Amino acid sequence: MFAALHLPDLAALAVLRARPEARGRAYAVLEVAQGAILEKVKMPLLAVNGLARGTGIDAGWPLNRALVRCPDLLVLPPHPAGEAELLREMIGLAESITPDLEIAGRDTLLLDLSRASSKQAAGLAWLEMAEGELRHVKAATPDLARLAVRHAGCHGRHVSTEEVKALPLELLGGSGLLGLLEDWGLRTLGDFMALPRQDLIERLGREAGEWHDVLHGKTFRLLRLHRPPESLAQSVDFEESLSSTEPLVFTFRRLLHALSARLAARHVAVKALQIRFHLESGACLERVIRLPEPRVAEAELLRPLEILLETLKLKSPVSGLTLDAETMPPTAAQRDWFIRQLPRPERWSDTLARLDALLGPGRAGIPVPPSGHRPDDFQVRPGDGTGILLDSGFLPSCPVPLRRFRPPHEIMVAFEAGPKPLALLSGPYRGEITGCRGPFKHSGDWWDPDAAWKRLEWDVRLADQQLLRLAFLPPDRWCLDGVYL
Amino acid sequence: MAAAVIDELRRKLREKFPEAHAALPVAAEESVAEQPFDPSFFPTGAISEVVGSGVGMLVAGLLGEPAECAALPDFVLVDGGDGFDPASYTAQACSRLLWVRCLTADEMLKAADLVVRDGNVPFVLLDTCGIARRDLQAVPGSVWWRLKLAAEGSGCRLVVMSSFPQVPCAAVRVALTARLGLEDFERPRREVVGRLRVMEERKRRAG
Repeated sequence: MFAALHLPDLAALAVLRARPEARGRAYAVLEVAQGAILEKVKMPLLAVNGLARGTGIDAGWPLNRALVRCPDLLVLPPHPAGEAELLREMIGLAESITPDLEIAGRDTLLLDLSRASSKQAAGLAWLEMAEGELRHVKAATPDLARLAVRHAGCHGRHVSTEEVKALPLELLGGSGLLGLLEDWGLRTLGDFMALPRQDLIERLGREAGEWHDVLHGKTFRLLRLHRPPESLAQSVDFEESLSSTEPLVFTFRRLLHALSARLAARHVAVKALQIRFHLESGACLERVIRLPEPRVAEAELLRPLEILLETLKLKSPVSGLTLDAETMPPTAAQRDWFIRQLPRPERWSDTLARLDALLGPGRAGIPVPPSGHRPDDFQVRPGDGTGILLDSGFLPSCPVPLRRFRPPHEIMVAFEAGPKPLALLSGPYRGEITGCRGPFKHSGDWWDPDAAWKRLEWDVRLADQQLLRLAFLPPDRWCLDGVYL
Repeated sequence: MAAAVIDELRRKLREKFPEAHAALPVAAEESVAEQPFDPSFFPTGAISEVVGSGVGMLVAGLLGEPAECAALPDFVLVDGGDGFDPASYTAQACSRLLWVRCLTADEMLKAADLVVRDGNVPFVLLDTCGIARRDLQAVPGSVWWRLKLAAEGSGCRLVVMSSFPQVPCAAVRVALTARLGLEDFERPRREVVGRLRVMEERKRRAG
């Protein structure tokens, strides 16, 4: 035994949650561009309320025609959040009857009553929603119940294949057959059911045969059961706020013990840990730890958390924390022989986290040369091999690598017109310039006055054979970019 | 330790299947072109020290000029003075390097200790050239011995690049000298690296 629950005009009812002032007026739901002339819009209405339907219009009518029939029609945009909320309320009501249900559409649920007691099944009659009439129909097959619930006359009844025969043919509106069947002169589902199945398939295709089977109660399928997502989140509120690491580690160990057991029971592993620290000041701090490989063991999950706690600098004590986990199936694949892999990737990620803690974020990684000519404009991608692998065609300008000064040394230079440097007068390297290459002119972002830059560069040799890179930044600044050694 | 076992396994496989491991002459030329310096020159599980005027070319020689980007780094550069310039290398060469940017001698030594103990990337370059001489001389000798023990434990090659000899427990110390002039800036990098003179100043058994 199956039942179908249906909330007619759900989209129209959801709109009232956002625009309650429309209650008591005829309105339709349609997304219309701002400033559009409504009388010229030919898009079909998504939904209408009861008052609008009373004027003779219905969902699917073009807006311009609907306005002719109902000049006071209010056109409101759809409210997806409200629709989802109404559907959640419907699911909540249905779960009071049975947990085995399928979401068969935006406004329809199918319930498997085979595990529900007769008392529970009788509870269907008592379900109601404040927004509108909640229809229900029982039938031997789920698809028959779903079809019949859309007809107001079937509400609260147990529908058999014989009773379906009297229903109007419009209930097949979801298929593309309706127009053709009406042209054939068919008016009720019974007329359609009376046609020979084989001939229908030959003329109209498989879909007609499938509808024929549904109406005769021959299609008996399993429901695609709706299961709410399981949450692994755990929260702890401390009686006294914590300001040291040790009690936090102790708490995390306790939470991870429970998490690990739950993961093992579900045969899943942790892909990422999401931690939220609730601070005494009322602020919240969120951190996500992505693990190099899915893990289940408590000790393996605790290690990255300990490293995180070592690096964390909080402005006020911790009054509570929430631990959640993103899961995935555990890996069971053998390591690849022909692709280079790290021997202990979990240890590598720990080391990178410790380096981040020691040096600051982004100071350890794989360097990526600059894509333009702006000086020292490199990027650093994560050291675990993630991130975009840029295989750019960048070529260094010089065969001898530069050792950069960060920041560059601002120096005084003796020069002649051009400018052409003659000697370095200040800074860590001083002396007469005995040879130079350049100037190499670089500039960029000239279209943006705030970001525009321009410089002249020389490779210079001093009297003591030291090779340096010197830069002139108009109008009057000289910099030592680095040394070649 | 693991690296030593793998080296031993490779050696046995090479002896048992010499045909499979015989490199074609062309391939050999290509490998020479891609990487002028052989990392295996430096002993595993020990500290080596490179000093001299050509020390800056060591990274260029080790990274070489590979044709493709590597998915994971082959070398770790613990950059004491944050002086490494990615713009001096191709993207393919940079992809072989994990760059650890330090600002002080203390940060540099702590970072080196972490990556040497990790052992996932068994070649660590410790560039001390950007650190002031006074700060380096203040580093106690026990720090280097501790690093040596860590390198022994993980089987890591730790190469210290410095402007003067400072590691008391270095198994190998070589001087790289390069008399570079502005005219060398017009030559291909491989030729410039090839002009480096390597002089072994010290070699002793690790331990």
